[in-house]
Amino acid sequence: MKLYLYGIIDSSDQVKDSIYGLEGASVYNIPFCDIGAVVSEINQPIQGVTEGAVLEHEDIIEKLMENFTVLPVRFQTIIDGRDNLLSMMQSYYKDFRDNLERLHNKLEFGIKVIWPADKIKEHIINTYKKNDKKVSVPSNSSNKRFMRKKFEKYKINEEFQKKANKYISVMDLFFSKFAVEKKLKKLKTEDLLLDAVYLVEKGKQDNFRDAFEHIKSAHKGFKFLFSGPWPAYNFVILPKNNDLLKDSNQEDLFDKVIQHRDLVGADKI
Amino acid sequence: MTLNSVVETDFPEEFIEEMEKSNNALPKRIDANPKNVEKGLAKLVLTLIELIRKLLEKQAVRRVEAGSLSDEEIERVGETLTKLENKMKELKQIFGLKDEELNLNLGPLGDLM
Repeated sequence: MKLYLYGIIDSSDQVKDSIYGLEGASVYNIPFCDIGAVVSEINQPIQGVTEGAVLEHEDIIEKLMENFTVLPVRFQTIIDGRDNLLSMMQSYYKDFRDNLERLHNKLEFGIKVIWPADKIKEHIINTYKKNDKKVSVPSNSSNKRFMRKKFEKYKINEEFQKKANKYISVMDLFFSKFAVEKKLKKLKTEDLLLDAVYLVEKGKQDNFRDAFEHIKSAHKGFKFLFSGPWPAYNFVILPKNNDLLKDSNQEDLFDKVIQHRDLVGADKI
Repeated sequence: MTLNSVVETDFPEEFIEEMEKSNNALPKRIDANPKNVEKGLAKLVLTLIELIRKLLEKQAVRRVEAGSLSDEEIERVGETLTKLENKMKELKQIFGLKDEELNLNLGPLGDLM
């Protein structure tokens, strides 16, 4: 019997409410020591990633979060039988326990920022041209002109990165006041200035939201996306050198869910 | 307690476009199968050459900035880097590869370039 895994919870108790999962099967907890793996039985492989299935997966994790701390597992994690599941629980018990303690009472929020990259670059180029005198790269041959062009490109890019760092550090300063952990990605594309996730205590989510509104109103011309609260998909930390992970298809057990989460979020825009 | 998750933005299309751009540009794995093994390998090799080329270029530019290169040396470095860049253009054209394809996602370490 194959088991579809939704998440790991900080309890060995049975799920009290009747929750139905993929294929309408009952969702139940398989206890291991003082924690548990929440699963439902599944007969056939899931055909691709559909918005409905992703939403269902997400919905079940959110329901579990009403009563438990949850380590959300990536969409489409299927374990071949109870014995394999228990063996995985045994191998990871300490890591699961540590993560559950760390993530207790915490939620994840996503922040994305698009900045007016073209205008900023244009401004940098204009400023650079005005101050060009400082730099003396000869241009009396094609090879030297090549080097001069490279030099200018390098300087403009350096300034672009500096500006990006400056904006990000100001924004992050506000968000970090109310967050316990964060993951920031700078300039994933030239326009996407910031793609960040923050881990926030439940009691501070309103403060975090206020910080976002403040940052948003202070940066005219920038575009913002706020998402959350989410289960802490991005903050589950597991060692990657575990044999069980190497031998099975469970690699990246947690860290890919986030990609499907965009699909979930897109539905709610 | 329910989470009541929200995704709020006045610019959904722009964000979807940017996320697609960043996801599409960097495959997690090299796509090598019997049908396109040559292109897959070329992509891997050219990515590594491109990395070295960019490092050389950066090093040269830094030395120019520091003023530690003579006129003659700038000429020589310029010639070398021009030739290297032209050769790369040629190879990319032969294997039908675009600039943004010459990169690798190194998982938790981020992108190669």
